[in-house]
Amino acid sequence: MAILLGILTPLQIFLDVVLRIGRWIAVAAIAIMVLAILVQVFFRYVLGNALPWPEELAIFLMLWMTGLIAPTAYRRGGFVALDIVTAALPTKAATVLSLILLVISGSVLFLFAQMGWGELNSLAGRFKSASLYYPTFSGWEKMPNSWQIMSFVLGLALLFIVNIELILRALVTIMGGQNRLRSTLDTELQAE
Amino acid sequence: MLVWFLPLFLLFLMLGLPVFFGMLAAPGIMLWLNGQERDIILLYRNVYNGMASFPLMAIPFFMLAGELMNKGGITMRLVEFSQAMMGHFRGGLAHVNVMSSMLFAGLSGSAVADTSALGSMLIPAMEKEGYSRKFAAAITAASSVIGPIIPPSGIMIIYAYVMGESVAALFLAGIVPGILVGVGLMIMIKLQADRYDFPVSRQKATWGERGDASLKAFFPLMTPVIIMGGILAGIFTPTEAAAVAVAYAIIIGMFVLKTLRPSDLPDVLMRAALTSATVLLLVGAAMAFKTVVSLSHTPEILAEFVLGLSDNPLILLFLINLLLFVVGMFLDAGPAIIILGPILGPIFVDLGVDPIHFAIIMSVNLTVGLATPPMGLVLFVASSVSGEKVETISRAILPFLAIEIVVIFLITFIPEISMTIPRITGFAE
Repeated sequence: MAILLGILTPLQIFLDVVLRIGRWIAVAAIAIMVLAILVQVFFRYVLGNALPWPEELAIFLMLWMTGLIAPTAYRRGGFVALDIVTAALPTKAATVLSLILLVISGSVLFLFAQMGWGELNSLAGRFKSASLYYPTFSGWEKMPNSWQIMSFVLGLALLFIVNIELILRALVTIMGGQNRLRSTLDTELQAE
Repeated sequence: MLVWFLPLFLLFLMLGLPVFFGMLAAPGIMLWLNGQERDIILLYRNVYNGMASFPLMAIPFFMLAGELMNKGGITMRLVEFSQAMMGHFRGGLAHVNVMSSMLFAGLSGSAVADTSALGSMLIPAMEKEGYSRKFAAAITAASSVIGPIIPPSGIMIIYAYVMGESVAALFLAGIVPGILVGVGLMIMIKLQADRYDFPVSRQKATWGERGDASLKAFFPLMTPVIIMGGILAGIFTPTEAAAVAVAYAIIIGMFVLKTLRPSDLPDVLMRAALTSATVLLLVGAAMAFKTVVSLSHTPEILAEFVLGLSDNPLILLFLINLLLFVVGMFLDAGPAIIILGPILGPIFVDLGVDPIHFAIIMSVNLTVGLATPPMGLVLFVASSVSGEKVETISRAILPFLAIEIVVIFLITFIPEISMTIPRITGFAE
């Protein structure tokens, strides 16, 4: 158990910091999404000039918002699931079942993150955005699609790390160390 | 062989695997066992492409608008308005509860938000006036299901996106069913009020008091008018309407009512982002799930089975009512609609049921399931808001559920209830 707790503690600290940064970027992203769409409405209906970029920017930001804040939702138990069977089982059996389900979830996340990484370097990733640009020393360059795909890949990777944390917590619980685990939610809320 | 993904998915779901992972794991495993490893990448691509969608952006925006209105004290104004209009009836506060839910439904598309916002205000007030706490909690939970039926509605945006329907048509189709649920609940309150001698909340408001309450509630009440008016007039798309609703909620909260502070915004934005991220992932997974539903010919196989039971669409709709009602008891309306829409929708559309009508049947059925024992989500929210046990609220809610079931049957078997407004406005044939 000492080994498990030894791995768990730094992992929790890492996730506390990274997910907190992710949450604040997500907050900024959703605020800018609203502004972008309002600018689009204003230009189209008031000035009669449809801008090409707000819609694409808003989708870009929505994907980053999702990728960066979904791991927090997963960590806080915010993914919809039925608990009829786990609630009916004795604590130890329920934890073993949860562990099996976490392994399945982890496998999905690992496989998808791997496929996402492949997509990043594929032709799809090398395509350029239609209307989003970024500054370089030699002028403005069209943004590659890989920047948008990266949001999902990073989100999957962070979800996978959260999944590892949840697996470690389940293992510690099975070994009887439940009282040595901290409440993830409480610590996160205290941090904010 | 591939069709076995469905039983496997249901097994995962029952065991407690989150819906998002179940929707990807079950099809993935069956594709692999079927020797279609190459198609697994399709699952990944459909999740990503399913999320990268402009119409879907209406979900975070409407969630944000609802959160802002809640935080800005708009709920209070709606309750005061309802009280001025209906508080003088016997059982006045119970009527106020239902009317506030109907008005709140025009601002938010969530039953949970309705229960927590109105329940925390009205349950203690009703108890103080002599209603039992279980009755107050039960009527709050029962009326909250109107939230996702009257537009704007989160589950209708999801259904429209997953099934390729018009959001505006679904919004319009939900108006009359939502009002019917509200009126049905008020009739039941009236019957109970006469029998159990419910208290009268207040003296009949003067026209001056009513005018004052209307003025205070004017800006919040304009929200659905702006959203639906803007969409119907072709001024903006549903997504743009949702962004306008956010701006409107901020302007009212900060500058008109002065109840929303800039320091409230980060918390509100974070809560909206957190909730919508999980929904967006689910919708992405639904698009992947839908691909495997098509690849495996599941609707055709199920259609054969269903038509074996009866070829009368009315009997089949009745059976679907029962199925959806049971599913709604255990699963939140959003995920349920995501899972069942692609499977059931094509079967009933082939049988001649209008896709918009079927969407409303599904939405109302599953939404009422939210208030149905033993697992209805809003029962738990009402329990935590009121401090009453779920079992006690479950018994007290039964007369209201009976009314809602009657409304479901009316909506199912009289398509005109939901289809008339979309037809008049040219959003349905």
